[in-house]
Formats: sequence, C-alpha cells, structure tokens
Amino acid sequence: MCSSKFLSVLVFAGAAVVIRASDNIPAPKQSVPVLLRGATIHTVSGADVRGDLLFADGKIQTIGAKVAAPAGATVLDVTGKHIYPGLIAASSGMGLTEIGAVRSTVDLAETGLINPNVRAQPAINPDSEMIPVARTNGILTVLSVPQTAGLIAGMSTLIRMDGWTWEDLTIRPTVALHVSWPRMAISRAPNSPSPAEDQQRALDARITKLRDTFAAARAYLKAKEGAGKAIDVDARWEAMIPVLRGALPVFVQADEVKQIEAAVAWAKQENLKITIVGGIDAWRVADLLKARDVAVIVTSVTDLPLRREDAFDAAYANSAKLQAAGVRFCIANDGASNERNLPYWAGKAAAYGLPPAEALKAVTLYPAQLLGVGGELGSIEAGKRATLIVTDGDPLEIPTKVEIAFIDGARIDLGNRQTRLYEKYKKRYEQLKK
Amino acid sequence: MRFYSVQTCFCLPRASRRLALFFLGHALCFTAAGLRAQIPTAPIEGLRDATPRVHAITGARIITAPGQVIERGTLVLRDGVIAAVGPEAEVKIPADARLWPVEGKTIYAGFVESETDAHLPAALKSAATRVDAVAGAPRGGRGGRGAVAAPVTETPVADEAARSWNPRVTPERQVARMFVADDKADARLRELGFTTAVVTSGRGVFRGQSALVSLNGKNPNAALVRRNLAQHVAFELGGAREQGYPGSLMGAIALIRQSLLDAQWHAASWKKFSELKSAGAERPEANASLAALESVTTGRLPVVISAQDELDLLRAQKIGDEFKLRLVIRGTGTEYRMADALAAAKTPLILPLNFPAAPEVDTPDKAGDVALATLQHWELAPANAGKLAARGVAFALTSAGLRTPETQFWTNLRLAVKRGLAPETALAALTTAPAKFLGLEDLVGTLATGRIANFVVATGDLFAANSTAEISAVWVDGDRFETDASQKVDVRGTWKIVWTGLPATAGTAAANPPGELKIDGRTATRPRARFGDKDAPLTVTRRDVTLLPAVELFGGKDGTVRLAGHVTDEEISGTGLLPDGAAFRWSATRQAVAAAPARAERKVEEKFFATADAYPAGVLGRKGPPVQPEWLLVKNATLWTSGPLGRIEGGDLLIHAGKIEKIGKGLVAPPGATMIDAAGKHVSAGLIDCHSHTAISRGINEATSAVTVEVRVGDVLDATDIGLYRELAGGLTVANILHGSANPMGGQNQVIKLRWGGLPETLKYAGAKPGVKFALGENVKQSSASPPSTRYPQTRMGVEQVMLDTFQQARDYERTQQEWREGKLTYAPRRNLRLESAVEMLHGERVVHIHSYRQDEVLMFIRLAEKLGLTVATFQHILEGYKVADQIAKIGAGASAFTDWWNYKYEVIDAIPQGGALMRAAGVVVSFNSDDAGLARRMNTEASKAMKYGGVPAEEALKFVTLNPAKQLRIDDRVGSLEAGKDADFVIWSASPLSTYARCEQTWIDGRRYFELGEDSAMRASAQVEREALVQKALAERGRNLATAGAGPGGAAEAGAPRPPPPDKPFVQLWLEELEARHALQYQSIYHDGQNSVNCSTHVLQ
Repeated sequence: MCSSKFLSVLVFAGAAVVIRASDNIPAPKQSVPVLLRGATIHTVSGADVRGDLLFADGKIQTIGAKVAAPAGATVLDVTGKHIYPGLIAASSGMGLTEIGAVRSTVDLAETGLINPNVRAQPAINPDSEMIPVARTNGILTVLSVPQTAGLIAGMSTLIRMDGWTWEDLTIRPTVALHVSWPRMAISRAPNSPSPAEDQQRALDARITKLRDTFAAARAYLKAKEGAGKAIDVDARWEAMIPVLRGALPVFVQADEVKQIEAAVAWAKQENLKITIVGGIDAWRVADLLKARDVAVIVTSVTDLPLRREDAFDAAYANSAKLQAAGVRFCIANDGASNERNLPYWAGKAAAYGLPPAEALKAVTLYPAQLLGVGGELGSIEAGKRATLIVTDGDPLEIPTKVEIAFIDGARIDLGNRQTRLYEKYKKRYEQLKK
Repeated sequence: MRFYSVQTCFCLPRASRRLALFFLGHALCFTAAGLRAQIPTAPIEGLRDATPRVHAITGARIITAPGQVIERGTLVLRDGVIAAVGPEAEVKIPADARLWPVEGKTIYAGFVESETDAHLPAALKSAATRVDAVAGAPRGGRGGRGAVAAPVTETPVADEAARSWNPRVTPERQVARMFVADDKADARLRELGFTTAVVTSGRGVFRGQSALVSLNGKNPNAALVRRNLAQHVAFELGGAREQGYPGSLMGAIALIRQSLLDAQWHAASWKKFSELKSAGAERPEANASLAALESVTTGRLPVVISAQDELDLLRAQKIGDEFKLRLVIRGTGTEYRMADALAAAKTPLILPLNFPAAPEVDTPDKAGDVALATLQHWELAPANAGKLAARGVAFALTSAGLRTPETQFWTNLRLAVKRGLAPETALAALTTAPAKFLGLEDLVGTLATGRIANFVVATGDLFAANSTAEISAVWVDGDRFETDASQKVDVRGTWKIVWTGLPATAGTAAANPPGELKIDGRTATRPRARFGDKDAPLTVTRRDVTLLPAVELFGGKDGTVRLAGHVTDEEISGTGLLPDGAAFRWSATRQAVAAAPARAERKVEEKFFATADAYPAGVLGRKGPPVQPEWLLVKNATLWTSGPLGRIEGGDLLIHAGKIEKIGKGLVAPPGATMIDAAGKHVSAGLIDCHSHTAISRGINEATSAVTVEVRVGDVLDATDIGLYRELAGGLTVANILHGSANPMGGQNQVIKLRWGGLPETLKYAGAKPGVKFALGENVKQSSASPPSTRYPQTRMGVEQVMLDTFQQARDYERTQQEWREGKLTYAPRRNLRLESAVEMLHGERVVHIHSYRQDEVLMFIRLAEKLGLTVATFQHILEGYKVADQIAKIGAGASAFTDWWNYKYEVIDAIPQGGALMRAAGVVVSFNSDDAGLARRMNTEASKAMKYGGVPAEEALKFVTLNPAKQLRIDDRVGSLEAGKDADFVIWSASPLSTYARCEQTWIDGRRYFELGEDSAMRASAQVEREALVQKALAERGRNLATAGAGPGGAAEAGAPRPPPPDKPFVQLWLEELEARHALQYQSIYHDGQNSVNCSTHVLQ
C-alpha cells in the first residue's frame, strides 16, 4: 500500500512538471505607433524599399523612404537591418503536443477514423515551450492541425504566436477540414507482411468509408434542410456542413502520386475545394494540379525520396517544379518542436531550383493566401497586420538572427527556455573561471 | 537394421571406380549375391513378401555419372544394390533376374534432393511453412500477416536435458531421431526424379544434423540411409525483447561465433578431464549442444549455412574461414551478384531454382511499384547457375522453395540450361555434387556396383534445354515406382470406333459408327475431338477417357451420350450410355498418330537487357569503383580546408593517386592531369557523420540483453542501402555506423567510407580505431517499452551498476586468462567474446561512444570511465552536455551532438541548440551528427547552426562536420581536412557549404568521384532505358502467360476465394501496424527503399 501511494505521488509530480508554463510574458496590445527607421523592407508582395515603416493599432500604416514619426510614436533605429513579414507555418502540431514520448502531453490525434467535429482550437496550449522557441526564428503565425491515423482528423486553427489564452492566439478558429488520404502503394515484395490482394482490399474499404462519410453528411444536410422541423443532431455531420456548402476548404494529406490523383478525382466528384498537404510526389502531376487549380502545401522538402528509384533530390526539387508549372504552393514544416527550421526548408528548395524570391514567398505570402488570410498577413503592405521581423540578413540563411519581432504591432519577447538555459549555464563557466 | 556407413566401403579411387564399372561387373555379381538384403525387425503381419529382388534393366542408354555414357547398357540390381552396370556385351544377366527391357530409354543415377522439409515433424518446419499450413495456403505460398515477420519467438523443441542455454542453439538435434514417414512427399519428390533427400530442420540458429532419407515411401526404419550428414545453420532471429537473443543479424553471427568457441573449449575441457582420470578435478559442465559441435569445429562434419540474401553469402564465408569449417552455403538465387567472391572462395553451394515470374507491370501504377533490381533479377535468375558454373563454383540444385515443384522444377532447370548451364553440370548438381559435399559418394550420385539401386528411367535426355522427355519410372532401393508421367497418354490421332449392343433406338448409328474419331489439339493434355463431323467434348485423366459425342448421331435430340473408356497402348475400350440409360460396349483402335501440328517454328532470338555486372543491382549500381586519376587539379575554388591553411580564396587543390599532394594558389599539375575548373565554387573536406545507422542489415539493436558488446556492426553492413548514395549526394564521405541505443552496453561500431558500389568489406575504413556503443537513460531503462519491461536495469542507478559489474567481470576474466597462461589452472577458461570486448575497453584498445542526454548520467559515466580507465571517444547526442562540458573536456571525450532536436522525450526537455557552442568554448571537441538517413544528407547546414546558436565562427562551425568528427573517430590523420598527405576526400559546392542555398555538385573519396550531378542524371537515364526495355519484355511474357494459363502467378487464379474486407481497427493499432509493416520489411530485406524508420530517438519499436 505504502509504496504504491508513493508511486502515485511521483506520477502526479511528474505530470505537474510536464505541464509547466513557459516563462515568457505575452506582450500587451500595441498602444503607441511604432516607426522602424532605416531598414531594407522586404515587402515580398512588391519591390524592396529602403527606408521606414510605420505601424499603429496593430496594422501597418506607411512604408516609404522617409516616414515622419507621429506624436508619441516609439522610434527604433534599425539602420542596416532587414524587415520581413513574419514567417507562416502552414502545417504544424503547435500547441497540441509537447513531449513526443510522454503520452500525457500529446493531444495531436483523436481516436477513431472519422473526426470532422474535433477542433484544434480549444486544445492549444498557449504556454507551450514550443511557441517561444519557434518565434525566436521569426515564425509568428502557425496553422495548428489535428492529425489522425484514420481518415478525417478534424478542423485546424490559425494562431498567432503570442497571447495568454487560446482565444488570444486565435486568428481563424477553423481554417480547413483535414482529411488523411489512405496510403495507396501496394507492396508486391515477396517479403511483404501482407499479400497484395489483402492490401488492396483494405485500401478499397478505407476509400469506401471516406465516400460514405461524405454521402452521410450530405444526407444529413438534406434532411436538416428539408425536414421542416428539428432533427436529431449528429455532431460529425453538423461539423461538415460548412465544408459541404463550400464555406470551408478540405486539406488532404497525400504524398504519393496515386494518393494525389485519387484525391483530386474525389474532390471533383464531391465538388470540394481541396488543397494537397504533403505532396512529395506532386511534381509528377503538376499539370493536373495546375489544370484543376489545386494548391499544395509542401511539407516534405527534406523528406527522403519515397522510393529507392526516385532521384536523391526528388523532394528537394519538388517545389521548384511546382512553381515552374504554375501550381499554387507554399512550404511548410509539419512538425512542432523544430518549427523554427521552416525558413531553411525554403532555402533548401532554393538550392535545388526554386528562385530565392519564390522561396521567401513560400513561407510568407503564399501560406497566407492558401490559409485564406492573404489580405491580412504574409507581406508588408499598408493595412495588413503588423506581424513582422527585423533581422540582420536573409532569414532563409541559418546564421541570420531575428533581432526584433512584432505580432499585431506588439513587440514580443524573443527569449525562450533554451536561451534562458544558455544564459544560466554560461554563468556556470564564468564562475568556474573565477 | 543395418546402416550404410563409410566403412561399408567401395571407396576405390576415382580412376579405379571407372574401371570397375566395366570390368568388375561379373565378379561383383557373385559378391553381391553374397550380401544380404535389408532384414526387417518388426514381426510380419499377414504374409511375408518374398518376391525376389533381382532385376536386369536392359537396352537403355545409361549415364553412369555426368559425362560418362554407356550407349546401350545393362544394369543389374540385387537386393536394393547395384550388382553390375556396363555395356550390354559385358554384363552378364543373372539367371534369377527379372528382365526389364527399356529400349530407347535413358537411365540416370537417382537424384539427391539436397534440402527438404518433408519428413519433418511440424515443430521443426520453418516458421513460414508452418504459418502457411495453418492458413491453409499452399506450401511455400504467401501466408497471412506474420508469416514472414522477422522475429520467430517460439522456442524450437530440444531433445537433450543438458544443453545450450540458448533455445536456438540446437546442434545436438538429430533429424534421424525425429523424422516421420511421409509417403506422399516421397511420391512428389520421386516424380521429379529424386530418390534420396537430405531432411533438414527448419528451426534455430544451429538447426541440428540432417539425415539422408530414402524416398521409398516406407517407415523410418527402412527409409533412413545415413544420419548426421551435416550441421545446418541459419541466421534466425528471436524477439526484440528479453529471452529472444539473437534479436538481430549481428547477434546471430555473434552467437554462432561464441558457440563454436564454446565447443572448442568444451572438447578441450572434457579431454583434460579424461586425461586427469578425474583426480581432484571437478567434471566440466555437461553440454550436449557443445559436444555436438565438436564434429563441426574439427572439420569432420560439413556445415550448411543458409543465406537469406546475397550479402549473407559473404557473411557465411567469413564464419567458415574463421573457424575453418567444411562449409556449404545454401543460396538464394542471387549468387550471380557475388560471382567474383564466390569464385575466389570455392565454397560449394546449394542453389534454388526459384526463378521469379514476370513482375506485375500491367498498369503504370503496378510497374511503378516494381524496382529495377526486381526486373533485372527476373531476367537474370535463370542464368544464375550457368554463370556460377562458368566461374568454377561447384553447386547442387534443390527443388526446395518452389511453389509448385511439379511444374516448376524441370521447366526452370531446363531454362537454366538454356541460359548457359551445361547439361552435364545440371546432372552433377542433382547427383555427384551433393554426394560429394555431404560425403555420400559411396552411396549415391553415380551408377556403379555397390551403390544403392537408385536410378531414374526417362524417355530421353532430361537435361536438354528444349527437352520434352519425361521420367517414366524411378527406382528406389531396387524397387520400381511408376511416375504419374508414365501414366499420361497422348490420344491424339485418328481412331476407328466400333460398338456392340447399341439398341435400335440409336438410329443409323446402331449399325455403323458415323465416321472416325479425330483427336488433335496443341498439347497432349488438351486434346480436342471431333466425331461424326461434330465437336465431341473429350477429357483424358491419366488413362481414363470420357467422350461426349453429339446426341443427334444417336437419333436423339436432348440429353447427353457418354462414352467412357480406358486406354491401353493403341486401343481404347469401355462402356457407353445413352440418355435413357441404355448401355453398350465400345472400343476404338488408332489408325494414325496425329501429325505434328504445323506450327511455324518462330525462332525469335531472346534479347537481354538487364545489367548483370554492376553493384548493387538496380538503379545507380556501379561497375567497379570510379576511376582514380593519377593526377587531379581542382582550380580557382574557395577552399575550406578545415586545416591550418584556413579558407583560401581562389585556391588550388592538387591530388596524386588518391592523396592530397599540395594546396595553394597557382598550382601546376603534371601533363595529362585531370583538371576541374572550380571558379565560383567552394570546396570542403568530405563531411563526416559521427552517428549513423545507414547500411545495417536486419536490426540496428541487439536489444535482447543489457550487455551485448560482442555483436559487431561490421559483420552486417548492407552495401545495397540506397541511403549511402543519397548521403554521398549531400557531401558525406565518412560515417560512424553505430549499434542502436536499446541497451547500456550495445555493440561494436564500424567506421565506413561511403564507397557506394562496393561490397561491405570495401566500405570499411581500414585501420579505424575500434569502438563500441553504450547508452544511458530512457532507452536503456526501457521507460517507453510497451508492454512494460522488467529487464534489468530499470533506473539510472541500475545502469551504472550493470556497467560496473560487467567491467568487474572483464577484469576477473583477464586475470583468469593470465592465471591459465601461468599454468595455475586445470582447465582453460572459456573464451567469452562479450568480456573480451570489455577487456579491450579497459585497455583503451576499444573506445566508447555513449548515447547520453542528462547531466547526471553523463557525470556518472565520466566518473566511471575515470575509475575504470575507459577511453570515451564521444558522448553521443549529449543534449545536456553543456551543463557539464568542463568535465567532458577533462577526460578528453568528444561531443557528437544533435544540433537542435529537443522535447521528443522527457530527458531532452533541457536540450538547447547552443549546447555545441558552449561545449566547444569549454574545450570539448564538438561534432554534429545525424542519427537519421534524411539529416545525414545535409550535414553542412547542420554546421551552420553552430554559427547561429552560440556564434561559432564559420570555419570552426564547418569543422563540426569535418575535422572534429574525424578527431573523435581517431581518423584525423587521414581525413577531416584538406591537408597535404591526407586522403583526397572532398566536396565541390555551388556556394558556401554553410549556406542553405548551397548544392553539393561533386563528392570525391580517395581521389575517386563517387557523385556528380551530371553523372547522376546520366545513370538515372540509362536505368530508365533499361527499365522500360525490361518492362516491355515482362509485359510480353505476362501476355503469353495470361493467354495460356488464364492467370499468371499472383493473378486471380491464385488469389483464392474473396475474403471479407478487414474490419475497422482502432487508429493506434493501424498506426502501429503501419510502423511494424515498414519495420518488418526493413528488418529483412536488402534493396529497401531507404526510408529510415529506426534511430536512437525512436521509442515505439524499441
């Protein structure tokens, strides 16, 4: 008895440590105008401007060679520095997971195959240590996405990377319904764990399930609209109504060419607006994606090639090929703890053929557009949110440092748990030297 | 019961044996008559069979041995043994012989099946076969899930009480003690011409000793010919968890080595004990397993090691060489890929005839799922035996592993002949070769006086490529067995029908049959008949015929008329039935044999497309190492030397015979030198990854025990891993291939150069300091194991103790060895490879690479290392190393760190990306590692993170992936920087290697260009051409098969009844299944897709 009690206390103590809050204090709302002076302003949407940038009430006001400071404005001299829009991570587990191997800290995937009604928003932990770590490298806006081992993962939420509560963080409570397309590759290897026919049957069953789900949701909507009276609520089909009415897009996780082709065909049949997420094979069907105007959130720049026979740079060069074919795309990272490496994935795509200016857009303006916030975020333009970074160079190059960052005009703390540990242990060695 | 034994010897030298064939026939007739037949020991039930067993087979063409032909000979058998064989004129037929005139037939010595699982009790069949049996699938077919899943967790049966501690070490098992009668299997094998078979256990690492069994369909007493032919060994794996040793291929090899050493020790100890006449000495441990292995270590008994893939051939050979075994290797069908090595080794092989069917390439989708290596193997597999024979490799052929031996065996064997195997060699592979390998030449394999009366009677030459000859009878132990083939009749031709007793109601037919019965058809098995100028459906089963003539011919309109009959020679006779049931007698006599169908002999020359001389097979294989220019000058580059010269703008790099000759500006190369103008390019030393699991076959962890320092990554390198090439394409030239982190004291590492295209031995970095992998923390205390583990240790406290205890054992071991050398001990101490490895560590001869995270455990190990005198080469991952960097520096250990990984498990929540910079500042030699097949392709930009986080200067940051890991691996005398005298390992970059925009354009190792962007495209393009040609060829073959057979292998015909769709499963299960499936594939196969699912941070599967 005694020892088991002791153990349970230990478990509780462990849990208490795990859900600790980050030490960063969220910034207060922008109260006075801010003028950044003397930088190179990379507007992304237009030409670079050498000069000043003024924002107030969280919105960008003026960009110009010389902008006068309004009364009471804070003026920051950033001569020689570079201003970029905040980077946008278009596919992330941010806020939904903390320590991968500790199950109690992971809220990424609900159980079951069909979860259209679950939402990322209320599960996002605003005190996640991952938030300050990511924004230190300029990641200021993130799409937080539920995952699934089934078919429908749930609804994603677009968040800004500073705030006290998940309501503070929310930019768009629901951005898309996330579907995970079943794996379609059939292994015909003699040592495959299950025969090709079994694999095919399992796959067919899953695709049938997906079709049935949408059919059931449509039947529900029809009944609801035609019944003339209240019908029993089905939480799943209720959640899908905005999707069926075209008000909410469907993001389909698909990497292999067969998955992508199947998803595109399915979308046409179901009359859905889809975006492909993953898309490692997308370059193989760039013409189809272009013809159907299906965009791709490329989360796979540094993935290994899918097949032994694929070129070593198949994934590196994917974005460049999509861009050349005129397919709408952006680059994302598909992680959480190292969301901070997002700009370097764009740099890698540039090393393998993507023009550098496009690489920058691929983590700023393009994700804003694909997530439906192109009018608010993703570039430095008057009227847009003043969510931006001040750097000492090209943010796609690793040694570049983000020196200052603003989210909706508020200057945020760029420290994090790691910088604090760094400072703390530097002290140890200073003490040792004395 | 009498066994044939080596002493029952007609063992004359080869030349005299040949003489005996011709001249001793008469004399031996008398001798043979004096011998006695097999006398049964069981009481006779009913009547005794006393039929004389003296036979004379006359008039046949007799092939007494490969290449030795008697055109018209006589074979005399007496009581199951050959009494005489020779030319007709020279062999006297005994008066008491029963005569068997077989004019026109060809006689061969009975074939020896070199491996069969027939006659085995279920518990000894291999796991795959047993699962298939349960699922009701055909033998050798694809079973359900788990049929091939790597770990075989069940313990095989043991039949000795005092035996090996390991349930998979069962060398004492004797098939002779446990085989069972199986007359059906005997009949199936006889149908192919086999008369004896080597029954081989399918379970265990040491599987036990095989037995030669006569395929006479009788009980074991009559069937057992010779016991304990050979010891059989396979790289069988247990589970991933405790009790499962070995859980990895490297563990299996270590277990084999240790067992053979133990056997030597066991024999010596017992010898000593008997010499001492027990005076004062305690008896050694009784161990039947080790006792059984003595015959192996002394070379008395052959050892057959089974390979699962072509790399296993080399592994088996190494074991054979190390222990001087009488080695035979059971191959896989891909031996042609190792022809050079096998030709050099001269080890006999047992080869399967399992040629793959044409791959499914019918749709672009399906074609996309088929690898080029698979297509190549489909084309090359039939040439395997021929290619090996041409290189002087001796081999036996087996039918084992064929899905449908009854159709495949002879078809495939003749295909092999067509593809270059000499018919004589093919015959030898079924007769003299296995007899020789297994020491059975006195019994079987040739037709000579005194051999067992086992032989095959065929209608012609069985071994010609286009042969249609059939086996009409097989004689086993002097008894004749007719084959099914001998019962097949060809009824094609023109027949005259007569009948009696047909009632008048049958109209005009009652008096006279309406014309002739004409039977034709392309093959004898699918005859088509016409009777009375109308089609008449006809079936022929063995000798039974059923004909359905048109009812109108019999004056009827409805119903069916049936003519059933039996074929004897040129007559068919039987009973007919009218629709009303009225019966009549009918018979037919053949008037003429059907003319050979006028099939235009389309002589289409088969074209071949598959590359056979590149390695690995498939895309990007190389035909030997890339050329090494005598002189090479790289001009005008920005040189990042990582050496004393720092960074040189507009620098030149002069290379001579694979070594750096000179570095500077304006260098001049001798005439004829290869020149590279690298203006605008950057050149760095080849990158080095101090933590990789690339190129390991079948398991990176021997996770079954807390201490497994005897296992060696160097034993299991997978030179086919496509990861090697992908990493080359990212500028990597050297990697430290480590055992995983599942146990506190893991396995021995192997430093390699990424010499893609070579065999495993050529990958090895010659002279690299031996090392070992240790690990601390969550992995080794199995905190994420599911279901929970109870293996010691479960805490960081226990981890320390397990290490300490092992080293204490090692010290004691060393002391005991010393005492033995000083003559103080009665018995030699048992050699212990595990402890010997630990002793090497205590002497600093083997350095430690230790997976570690938290500062507490790091400090613990530092103190332990100080106390024990261990040399710590690196702390691996070392994410809290920044907290105790001064202590790491103090013992001179390196830090091989992750750059920015964190929070994937609890022990890494304090990881910081500035850790590398902090440790460097404290005087630690720091490198960044990958532990990941994806990250290993871009180590250059990992180095940039040292600049970002902690402000390490650019050139110093680059050293994190060049010079520093070289120092950690003790190889900086040759690699890691661009300095005169070092290996010419370098990379040409499109921009600064520290830029994300940089692309690796060329990677050189030893002055050889292993990667270049343009060459990469060219190799892919040529692979694509080859691929398309093979796909076209496969399509044509599949088209033919589908047209003739209805469905090819894998088609609907084999799919069986449709099964219901699998029910929905909980997502966690689906997720795990997906991981498992991927894991299982990787666990087993070379030529995998390079998707790296297992590394040190993977917790799910560890």
